[in-house]
Amino acid sequence: MQTELESNAKSGFQLAGYASFDWTDQQGSDNEFSGVKFAPIFHYQYGDIFQFEGELEFTTNNQGETDTELEYAAGTLFLNNYMGLQLGKFMSPVGQFVQNQHPSWINKLPATPVGFGHDGAAPTSFIGAALRGGLPKVVDIRSNYVIFVGNAPTFAEAPDGDVIVDASGKTSSGDASKTWGGRFALNPVGGMEIGVSYAKGKVSETLTATTITGGSAIDDKLQRDYDVAGVDVMYNLNAIDIKAEYIKQKIGDNDKSSLEGGTWRAWYAQASYQFSFLPIEPVLRYSDYHNPEVERNQWAIGLNYLFANNLIAKIAYEYNDNEDNAGDASVNNNRVLTQLAFGF
Amino acid sequence: MKKILQVVVISCLLTSGLSASIFGEKITPNSANGATIWSDVCMRCHNLREPADLSKRAWKYSMQHMRVRAGLTEQETKDILAFIEESKTQEDGK
Repeated sequence: MQTELESNAKSGFQLAGYASFDWTDQQGSDNEFSGVKFAPIFHYQYGDIFQFEGELEFTTNNQGETDTELEYAAGTLFLNNYMGLQLGKFMSPVGQFVQNQHPSWINKLPATPVGFGHDGAAPTSFIGAALRGGLPKVVDIRSNYVIFVGNAPTFAEAPDGDVIVDASGKTSSGDASKTWGGRFALNPVGGMEIGVSYAKGKVSETLTATTITGGSAIDDKLQRDYDVAGVDVMYNLNAIDIKAEYIKQKIGDNDKSSLEGGTWRAWYAQASYQFSFLPIEPVLRYSDYHNPEVERNQWAIGLNYLFANNLIAKIAYEYNDNEDNAGDASVNNNRVLTQLAFGF
Repeated sequence: MKKILQVVVISCLLTSGLSASIFGEKITPNSANGATIWSDVCMRCHNLREPADLSKRAWKYSMQHMRVRAGLTEQETKDILAFIEESKTQEDGK
């Protein structure tokens, strides 16, 4: 009786999430237990009309401190069969790796492709509003969409001198216009999705003593053009899984700052195969990342052991190539990575 | 002018959404269609989670999460949930 009453309740919540533990042996460094991540995901639902979802990401850094990040926290009001209005902080709908592949139990290799992590070529999150959902079938083809508006990303010089586009959700746009964008995806056959994404707006930049060029004051805010475009493909055929994505962020120039704009672009292609007679899965991935200061590419080959579909041990070898050796030279080193990841 | 345009676009989208609202409208789940979508859609991004992996209650919340994340319609979401619940009855009954 109690169970029946609870199952008929209009509202309720669930705790889901994922966690992972990493060990890395990099050329030129001692091997180390290099990562601990715990990412609880909270789901609250009211009937069929509203859902809130929030993900916290806890990691321990090399000083033993705990870093916390609010990956997303957004409520969705389901307006009809085909549309939900999402408000809050949501993973970037531009492309598919960031919003769908980032959990460590889903990513088939221990690390992200180059350029698809934080401050890379792909935006990570936005704070704003989105309309999203699935569309009616047309000639038996399914499709889905997201249209969003969010606060502007920031553009700045990092303490190490690198220029970075910080496209993670913020509660202010500075003085810059908001970012508008979306993604449309088709499912031409079962197991396949082809998506195209585009976003346009401005990035916000705060002038500093080292970037000011005259005619303005330190701490003045200015804006630059911001354009993002991406295309992605996912295809799963029986035991073969193929994923690929290209994404580009273009930042315009502004005469009031000494920082130069440019293009941040990245792409990856990945193939994996799940054997039927053994719970193992070989994975091969190539990824490439370019920004005005860095040119990187990486081959990664891995082997996963699936204790269960959501409990996976991974081992991988990365061949890293940093062609101009800009920034951190250690990223040029090859490395062995192992990871135990699970989703719950 | 730009702000007015933005307000008009948002209002039109919301109005079109709400005017077609099916608040309270009964959707009849189709578990056979749910089985097809379950295998086609879920495996594109991640390994399949077996129906027995989660309780019926947990599946309800997970599927609403996947409705947002995978771009499913409400009908498709309920179709998949119906398939999972039927499978659970046969497998573990939880």
